[in-house]
Amino acid sequence: MTADPGETRVGVTDATTVADLTAAPEAAADVPPELVAQSLSQYLRGWWLKVRSGDSGVLPVLLAMVLVAVTFQIITPEHSFLRPSNLVYIFGLSTVYMVLAIAETVVLLLAEIDLSVGAVALIGGVITFKLVQQPGAGWPWWAAILAGLVSCGVFGSLAGMLVARLKIPSFIVTLAGFLLFSGILVVVLGGADGSVNLNTSEFNQRVVYDLVQGVIPPVASWILLAVVVGAVGTAQWLRAARRRRQGLVAPPKSVTAIRIALLALVGVAVVAVCNVNRGTALKTVQGVPWVIPIVLVVLGIWTLVLGRTRFGRYLYAIGGNPEAARRAGVSLVAIRTWAFALCSATAGLGGILLGSFFFGEYSTNTADPGQLVLYTVAAAVIGGVSLFGGRGKALHGVLGGLLIGGIAYGVSLLNLGTLSTPLQYILPGAVLLVAVGIDVLSRRGTGGAHSV
Amino acid sequence: MTTDHGETPTATADPGMADLTLDARAAAADVPPELVAGSLGQYLRAWWGRVRGGNSGVLPVVLAIVVVAVSFQIANSKFLSAQNLVNLFEQSTIYMLLAIAEIFALLLGEIDLSVGLVMGLGSVVVAELVQPTGANLPWWVAIILTLLACAAWGAFQGTLVARLKMPSFIVTLGGLLILEGVAIIVLGGSLVGIGNSQYKNELVLYDIFWGTFSPLVSWILLAVLIGAAGTGLWLRDARKRRSGLETPPRSLIALKIVLMAVAGIALVAICNVNRAHFGTIEGVPYIIPIVLVVLAASTVLLQRTRFGRYVYAIGGNPEAARRAGVSLTSVRTWCFVLAALVSGIAGLLFASWQVSLTTNIIKTSNTYVLLAVAAAVIGGTSLFGGRGKTIHGVLGGLVIGGIYNGLYLLGVSSQWIDVVVAAVLLAAAVIDVLSRRGGPQQA
Repeated sequence: MTADPGETRVGVTDATTVADLTAAPEAAADVPPELVAQSLSQYLRGWWLKVRSGDSGVLPVLLAMVLVAVTFQIITPEHSFLRPSNLVYIFGLSTVYMVLAIAETVVLLLAEIDLSVGAVALIGGVITFKLVQQPGAGWPWWAAILAGLVSCGVFGSLAGMLVARLKIPSFIVTLAGFLLFSGILVVVLGGADGSVNLNTSEFNQRVVYDLVQGVIPPVASWILLAVVVGAVGTAQWLRAARRRRQGLVAPPKSVTAIRIALLALVGVAVVAVCNVNRGTALKTVQGVPWVIPIVLVVLGIWTLVLGRTRFGRYLYAIGGNPEAARRAGVSLVAIRTWAFALCSATAGLGGILLGSFFFGEYSTNTADPGQLVLYTVAAAVIGGVSLFGGRGKALHGVLGGLLIGGIAYGVSLLNLGTLSTPLQYILPGAVLLVAVGIDVLSRRGTGGAHSV
Repeated sequence: MTTDHGETPTATADPGMADLTLDARAAAADVPPELVAGSLGQYLRAWWGRVRGGNSGVLPVVLAIVVVAVSFQIANSKFLSAQNLVNLFEQSTIYMLLAIAEIFALLLGEIDLSVGLVMGLGSVVVAELVQPTGANLPWWVAIILTLLACAAWGAFQGTLVARLKMPSFIVTLGGLLILEGVAIIVLGGSLVGIGNSQYKNELVLYDIFWGTFSPLVSWILLAVLIGAAGTGLWLRDARKRRSGLETPPRSLIALKIVLMAVAGIALVAICNVNRAHFGTIEGVPYIIPIVLVVLAASTVLLQRTRFGRYVYAIGGNPEAARRAGVSLTSVRTWCFVLAALVSGIAGLLFASWQVSLTTNIIKTSNTYVLLAVAAAVIGGTSLFGGRGKTIHGVLGGLVIGGIYNGLYLLGVSSQWIDVVVAAVLLAAAVIDVLSRRGGPQQA
């Protein structure tokens, strides 16, 4: 994890606290590099020390992405994995996992788990799809989306209350929720072979359809990129400058500059890939899909909520040490209930995106709640969120989601025939086990209580 | 998510801390009634005290069985017909076995979400191994190899949980995905069946679920069983009394034996009614003694051996068990092996029940895990470890089987049955949590 600002130090500590009380030797490795670094090289050295002590942040998931990209590029027929059309498809598919993984992260930070995210997300999607139907409910698109998210939030708060008030283990509550909502999903869809489709010639349905399928024209894409990078860059620069003026700890100027440059580089690469014509000879398809800015907004909101609000600090505090948080006056019941509610509401957006990704068709074929939740947990954990609470960021969910999406789509490109179905199960399972194994071992490396 | 129950007592602060300061009043409620009772009346009073103290044993699940039976009988008069009851017993055996498997994990305070798919894998493997056009192994070799394969998988998961200290629900969640893929590979994309009665090995597997003892043999078997179990109980009690050990009153032993005989006679009588629409199908299905053998073996293992005591010790307080010299790693690993082994036995039944297996049937085997957890918890096993017996799994399995069967009789569609089972699972978890709160554990 790249360093959190000072406020969230509690979150950086381990879930089990025995060792932390006597953690003098380990403490040094836990100091964010910007607290001690004056120059870029010092910063890098400090960062490398953290990585070696097990606090490796986004490094493993980035390495894994490179590995996956290179491997699939080599083994796919005609080396097609990195073609722009495939990459944009992966972005689209991954956005579902990204949003769901961000949602799951909120709950994982508490050292809880939500195994019903997949089913709840799909219910949210179906609700939205049903409400924009015309003839039918015929709601405006924004009201339908809002209704989908709010319903999910209500479902989540019910699960949250059972976990927070009655103290039933969250994996049991949400396992039952998974079964419950999977059943209701089939009912809402109208039977095992029922489906809901969007009619793209009607405006409100078109908007929902376009969430993933719609694109921003190439020129507008570039302009949007310039605006986003400019705004984020300026904000970062000004904030660092302000902190420096006030004598607060801030990373060296060069680090801020490098971060902004990296952001611009990634943005330019994404827009360039998306602006290649990926259509057929008859129909041009180019430009950034709407879903990319949408996911960035979700990422931005959750980064702010987790990093800069009291609610976010409480999440890390409870995940780090619930008893300490309680004694500090944090209402465990309220925060836990809200976390489940917000997790489910965010997941609802993922469900809407999923339907849009499958060309506006919702059916029991495209919507498998069981697989979805496993991909989601795997995405979050592989992205760097700890299952044991207190460690993780929204960004980790996004990176993990991209990796899972890449693997899922890469396998389907391989033309494995009869092997491709079983591999769709085996790969995420293996990835999940490896990710959790790394999570467990890295906690041990940081001198957590598990190293007994 | 429960925090890891390993060597980290602070992580389990709520339930764990109170144990150290368990006060005398609370402890009294925990004394088994047979230790203080001299007569049947005293015994019953002591037992009632325990029930009121939150330690209600099998009482809730027996009540649940009565409620399920009465309400479905009112809704549909076919529910308690001999024909449907045998059907219900047969269906429930799978839930019972999976619940017994799950209890091995639950007693440790762990969970095994892969039992359903271990069953699925076991069913495919055993069916493939006896195919005359394929491996063509004798049925008993196929069964042994299948059970070994399942146990090996359990050892793998157990090692990840016990040695790497990965949370069990994640290990088994990832595990079930891998198993699903492996089972589909073993199945080879087509269907595999054991319904060809020309081949003896297929026939034996088919008969595991569908075969029955003749009515006369059923009665003889019952007499032998009750005689043996009754004599065993009586002699054991007499020996204990001679050696001056604590024993329940004689009348209680007699009562237990009579109850056992009544239940057995009722069961055999129901099974011996001709339940075929045409022709004759009567007698006790083989699977009923199979389940009883698994129940007896697991009960002896958990209640009468050192291994069993260690399992309860770890479930109650892992740190205390570790300091007392119990090897957490090996006991935990073995529990996952046993869970997978019993799931494998359920797989044999499953293959026999389904007769032919397809990819879709393998996928449905996954949903059984929820039923298994629900059956175990409804039966009275705690999700938090250290409390439960395998008989709870059998009784809970009967409740789940009854609910499934009853809703099916009423023509409820499968997705609504799932919804009801989810509600039942939640209710069981709530009762578990509340009864722990009411009990002496958190005085």
